[in-house]
Amino acid sequence: MSVPDYMQCAEDHQTLLVVVQPVGIVSEENFFRIYKRISSVSQISVRDSQRVLYIRYRHHYPPENNEWGDFQTHRKVVGLITITDCFSAKDWPQTFEKFHVQKELYGSTLYDSRLLVFGLQGEIAEQPRTDVAFYPSYEDCATVEKRIEDFIESLFIVLESKRLDRATDKSGDKIPLLCVPFEKKDFVGLDTDSRHYKKRCQGRMRKHVGDLCLQAGMLQDSLVHYHMAVEFLRSVNDFLWLGAALEGLCSASVIYHYPGGTGGKTGARRFQGSSLPAEAANRHRPGAQEVLIDPGALSTNGINPDTSTEIGRAKNCLSPEDIIEKYKEAISCYGKYKNAGVIELEACVKAVRVLAIQKRSMEASEFLQNAVYINLRQLSEEERIQRYSILSELYELIGFHRKSAFFKRVAAMQCVAPSIAEPGWRACYKLLLETLPGYSLSLDPQDFNKGTHRGWAAVQMRLLHELVYASRRMGNPALSVRHLSFLLQTMLDFLSDQEKKDVTQSLENYTSKCPGTMERITLPDGLTLPVALTKLPIVRCVKLLSLPASLRPQKMKSLLGQSVSAKSPFIYSPITVHSRGEERSGKIDFQWVQGDVCEVQLMVYNPMPFELRVENMGLLTSGVEFESLPAALSLPAESGLYPVTLVGVPQTTGTITVNGYHTTVFGVFSDCFLDNLPGVKTGGSTVEVIPALPRLQISTSLPRSAHSLQPSSGDEVSTNVSVQLYNGETQHLVVKLENIGMEPLEKLEVTSKILTTKEKLYGDFLSWRLEETLAQFPLQPGKVATLTVCIKVKLDFSCQENLLQDLSDDGISVSGFPLCSPSRQVVRPRADSKPANPAEGSRPGDPGHVKTLEAILNFKYSGGPGHVEGYYRSLALGLHVEVEPSVFFTRVSTLPATSTRQCHLLLDVFNSTEHELTVSARSNEELILHAGECQRMAIQVDKFNFESFPESPEEKGQSANSKQLEEERQEARGLEINSKLGIRWTIPSLKRTGEASVEGLLNQLVLGHLQLAPLLWDVLVDGQPCDHEAAACRVGDPVRLEVRLTNRSPRSVGPFALSVVPFQDHQNGVHNYDLHHAVSFVGSGTFYLDKVPPSGQAACLGALLFLYTGDFFLHVRFHEDSSSKELPPSWFCLPSVHVRALEAQA
Amino acid sequence: MCQVYLWNYPLYIRSVPTENELQFHYMLHTSLDVVDEKISAMGKALVDQRELYLGLLYPTEDYKVYGYVTNSKVKFVMVVDSSNTALRDNEIRSMFRKLHSSYTDVMCNPFYTPGDRIQSRAFDSMVTAMMIQVC
Repeated sequence: MSVPDYMQCAEDHQTLLVVVQPVGIVSEENFFRIYKRISSVSQISVRDSQRVLYIRYRHHYPPENNEWGDFQTHRKVVGLITITDCFSAKDWPQTFEKFHVQKELYGSTLYDSRLLVFGLQGEIAEQPRTDVAFYPSYEDCATVEKRIEDFIESLFIVLESKRLDRATDKSGDKIPLLCVPFEKKDFVGLDTDSRHYKKRCQGRMRKHVGDLCLQAGMLQDSLVHYHMAVEFLRSVNDFLWLGAALEGLCSASVIYHYPGGTGGKTGARRFQGSSLPAEAANRHRPGAQEVLIDPGALSTNGINPDTSTEIGRAKNCLSPEDIIEKYKEAISCYGKYKNAGVIELEACVKAVRVLAIQKRSMEASEFLQNAVYINLRQLSEEERIQRYSILSELYELIGFHRKSAFFKRVAAMQCVAPSIAEPGWRACYKLLLETLPGYSLSLDPQDFNKGTHRGWAAVQMRLLHELVYASRRMGNPALSVRHLSFLLQTMLDFLSDQEKKDVTQSLENYTSKCPGTMERITLPDGLTLPVALTKLPIVRCVKLLSLPASLRPQKMKSLLGQSVSAKSPFIYSPITVHSRGEERSGKIDFQWVQGDVCEVQLMVYNPMPFELRVENMGLLTSGVEFESLPAALSLPAESGLYPVTLVGVPQTTGTITVNGYHTTVFGVFSDCFLDNLPGVKTGGSTVEVIPALPRLQISTSLPRSAHSLQPSSGDEVSTNVSVQLYNGETQHLVVKLENIGMEPLEKLEVTSKILTTKEKLYGDFLSWRLEETLAQFPLQPGKVATLTVCIKVKLDFSCQENLLQDLSDDGISVSGFPLCSPSRQVVRPRADSKPANPAEGSRPGDPGHVKTLEAILNFKYSGGPGHVEGYYRSLALGLHVEVEPSVFFTRVSTLPATSTRQCHLLLDVFNSTEHELTVSARSNEELILHAGECQRMAIQVDKFNFESFPESPEEKGQSANSKQLEEERQEARGLEINSKLGIRWTIPSLKRTGEASVEGLLNQLVLGHLQLAPLLWDVLVDGQPCDHEAAACRVGDPVRLEVRLTNRSPRSVGPFALSVVPFQDHQNGVHNYDLHHAVSFVGSGTFYLDKVPPSGQAACLGALLFLYTGDFFLHVRFHEDSSSKELPPSWFCLPSVHVRALEAQA
Repeated sequence: MCQVYLWNYPLYIRSVPTENELQFHYMLHTSLDVVDEKISAMGKALVDQRELYLGLLYPTEDYKVYGYVTNSKVKFVMVVDSSNTALRDNEIRSMFRKLHSSYTDVMCNPFYTPGDRIQSRAFDSMVTAMMIQVC
C-alpha cells in the first residue's frame, strides 16, 4: 500500500468501495457523464430495515491498495462497474472478454460486478442478464440509477451474509488469521496453536467484523466489536491491528457524533441542509438520519424504541475528547510500522478533519505537523504536489491561512521543480494565485490603494516575484508585466535601491516586447484588474489652474442686487453660507473657455533612486469633450516636489471633471484616478467650461518694458510698456488690437486705473476716443484695430522748500502795501537773483528727480458665443511712465497791476533739464532758459472772479469736510488760472514741448491776490470809470468824483467813511501830500456810504477842483472804525486815481 | 535568532546568522497562525489576567518557535536553534519580558508612530545584547 488517499475521512469507514471503469474506448466526456450519474447513488436505504448503505465510487484505484482490504474493509473493492461502447454484435464477445479481464484485477475481493454497454442494440441486448445492462446511447439511459441501486442491494446481500458468517464464527472453528500484505512472511512457521496466536486471530477477526458491521449500517454492533477487538489485540501487543481497531472505534464514534460528516465536500453532499447538533443526533440511530430530514416520518418510525441499544450506545461510543485520544493512540501504534506509513498519514488526515469540526485547531495542527514528518517511500513529483496541496487545504480548514499559503506555495514550487522534465508553469501559477489571500495580498487595486500596507512585505515580495516569473514562463508576457507593475506599485516602500533598479529594468525588458496596458486581463479564476502605477511618480497635489489673467473670462454683472441677495442678506458676514456645499461638490469658482488651452498643475516627485522618465502624461476628464495634450517629463532621482503642468483643450462646453491622469512609465500605461490616490490634495476638480470667446492681443507703439508694476496693483497685467516723458509733455500711444482668437470680437470697453502714487497729478493722465475704434467692429479673427491713447503728464511744477520760505514773506509784503511803488519793484530782482547762483540752483533739482507714474489700461472685450452667455475677457496693459522734470516754478508771487482788476503773476522758472528750454505764456514773448538757469517771468492776468463758479461741493451738503471742500475749490481755481495762463515750454534741441502748470503752487495767499474782492470799488471821475488810465480834467473845472461800491459778498457791509487824500508823486520816492493850495474840495472831503446789502450797490458823490495843472493822485482812504475791521484788508482795495489836470482851455 | 513583530506585519526583525533570512520570514509568517489561534482560544474573559507568554508555538526540525503577546496584541516571536538546550522556558520567558519592556520604551518615544518599523538604537542594542548572550 503506497498511495495515500488524502481525501479520506472518518465516514469513509462505513462505505463500500465501488470502482467504476471504462473498458475499451470510451470518450472521457461520456464516461464522466455516466460516472456522475452513478455517483449520485451514494446512499441506499436498505429495504425492510433502517440501515443505510453508503457507497464510495472511484474511477481509479490501485490494486495494491486493494490488498489492504482485510485490514480495513473500506479499502476493499467490493463492486466493479464497467462502462463500455459497443456498436455491433460482432464486437460483443470481445468486449465481454475485456470486462472479465477487468474483473480479474480486483477479483479476489469483488462481491459483484456490472457491465454497462452503450450503443449495442438488437438480439444480444434483448437477453435479460443480471450482470450486463444495455443502453442504446449515452443519452438514452434513464434506468442507470435504478440499475445501480439494484446492484448495490446485491452487494448488500453479500455483505450481510459475510457479516453474519463472520459474526457467528464461534471459537470452536479455527479462525483464519487476517493479515496485511507485509506481515505475511512474518507469520511463516509460527505456532498456530498457541493461545497468543489464537487471541491474535480472534482480535483481528473481531475488528474485521466491526468493519463489516459498520459498512452494513450497524453502527452499534460495530462499536461493540471494536471494543472487544481492542481488548484482545492489546493483550497480545498486536499494535498494527490495535491501531486499526482503535481507528475503527474512532470512525464509528465520529459517524455517530457528527452526522454532518467531516470530509467537507463529500459530507455536505451526503447530508445537504442537515447541520444537526450532536445532541439531537444522539437520540437517533444513524440509520434513521433520512427520517430526520423528513419530520413527518418522525412519529411513525423515527425513534427506535429499543432501549437496550440506547444504553449500549452510551457505553460504547467514545466522547469527542476520547476520539482524539484514541486517534492519537492509533497513530502512535501505526507509527511503529514503517510500512504502515500511508495508513498513519490517512489516520492523521482523518483526525485533523474531526478536530476541524471540533474547532480544536491547535491539536489539529499538531496532527498535521506529525503528518508532515511521516516519511513515505520516495514520492513521485505529482504525489508530492498532491501532498502539499492537501496539507495546505487542511491548514486552511483549521484556519491556519498562512501555513496553508506556505504549503500551497511549496506545492507550486514543486510543480516546476528542476527534476521535472516538463514543468507545469500553468499549475504553478494557479497555485501561487491561490496563496495570495494567505499572504494578505489582493490583486484588486481597490484593496491595495487604500490605507497602509498590510501583510509581511518580505514574503509578499517573494511571492510576487514568483508570480511574475511563473506567468512569464507560462507564455503570458502581458500577465507578467501586470504582476511586475503590481509589485512595483505595492512594494515600492520596501524595495531597496538595488531592487528598485532591478525590477524596473526587468519591467522595461518585458514591456519592450509587450507593452503594459490598462485592459483587464482575465484569469481562469477571476479577474486581474489593471494596475496603475500611481507611485511613479507620486502625485501630491493636483490643482486646476485658472486661465491667465488676460484670458480669464468674467461674468457680466447683470444686477448688483441679485448677486448680493443670492449669497446672504448681510452685507458682510463672517459665516460663509455656501462654502460647504461648494467644497463638497469640488467645484472651483473659475471657468475654462472652450477652445482655449487649460492647465492643471500637479506636484509630483520621483521616489526612485534614478531618473524617471514619464511619457505621455495627460489628463483624464469627463463631462466635456477634452483634447488632452500629453507631456513627457524626466524627473531627477529622489526629486523633491516638482511642478508639472498638464494641458488640454476643452472642445465643448459644460462641466468638466478632472478624474485623474494617465502616464506611461517603463512602458506601462497607467490610468490613475484621483479618487484612488491616497494623500493627494485637490482643490476641487470640477470646472465649468464656457463657450468660446475671442482673444485679443495688443501691441503698442511704445517699447515693451521688463519693468513690472508694483505687486500691490492687484490686476495681472499681460503687457507692460514704458515711456519717458518730461513733466508736462503729452504723448500719443497707439494701441493695436488684434483678434487672434477664432471668434469675432464684438464688444470693447476701455477703462484706466492710475495706481496710487504719491505724486499729485493734474489734468487727465490718460484720455482716448473709443468711437473711431469701435467703428471697425466687429473685428473678425486675424483683423487689427487701433486705438490712440493720449498720455499727458502734469505733475507738480513747484519746488516745495523754496516756495514755502519765500512765499511767507513775499506774500505778506505784497499784501501789506496795496499800492506797490516802483521802488519796491526795483528791490525785488535783487532778491530773485539769489536762486541763480549755482549752490541754490542745484537745490530745486533734487526733489524733482525722475518720478514714476503707473497706470493700467483695461480692455474688456467679448464676442462670439461667450458674449451671448454674458462673459467677457479683460486684458490689461500696464503703462509705466517715467517723468523727468522739465521746468520748475521755484517761486510765485503777485504784484498788483495798475488796475485793481488785474495783477501781475510773477513766476521764477527754473530749467531743470540739461537742454536749453524756452518758456512762453499766452500773452508773453518766449523766455529762453539755459540748463539749470532760473529766471523770473511776469504775466499780467485779469483777476478772477471765482465766486462765479458753480460751487457744487457746497450744495452737496454741510456734512462734507470743510477742509476737503476748500481743497477742491482751490483745485478748481488752479485749473481756471492755469487755463488762462497757458504756459508752455519747448526744448528745441529735442523737439519736445509741453505745458507747465502752476496749479500746484498757488497757495491761499496768492490766490487771494488773484481773486477779485467781493467788494468792488469803482472810482468814477467825471462819470468815467477810472482805473489805471489817467483821467484828464481841466484846471478850474470841478471834477466829479464818484465812489461806487458793489457788494458781492453774501453779507451786508458798511457803513463806511471814506476820505480822499490827493498827493503828488515825485517819482523819486517822495510823495507830496501838502496840496491844500493846489487842490480843493468842492463840498466835503469825506464820503459816507450806507450799509450795503448783499448784491446791493451804493455810491457817494463828491467833487474836486484842481487849481494847477499837473499829475495828481487821489488816495481814497477808509476811516478806521469797527465795522471795517471784520473784513479782510484786501477787500478794501481801491484803485488809486490818477488825474491829470490840464491847462484850462482858453 | 530573535525576531520581533507586530500587527501581522513585521516591525522589527533581527536574525543571526543573516543568510537565508527568507526562511525565517516564512517561519515567522506561518507562526502567526498559531499565535492567532492561541489568542482566540483564550477567550475574552481571560484576556486581562492571561499569561502573556504563549510558550512554544511549534517545533520544527531545526528550530523552536516561541511566542509572546502583549495585551495590546503586539506579538513577539522568537526562533531558537533546537539544539540549544541551555535555553529553558524560564529564560525564554524572561527574554520576552525584556523585549516587552524595551518595546514599551520605544512606544514612549513621542516621535515614534505606532506601526512604523522600529529603528530605535536602544532597542537594537538590547536585542543584540540578548542575542550575544544566547548564542
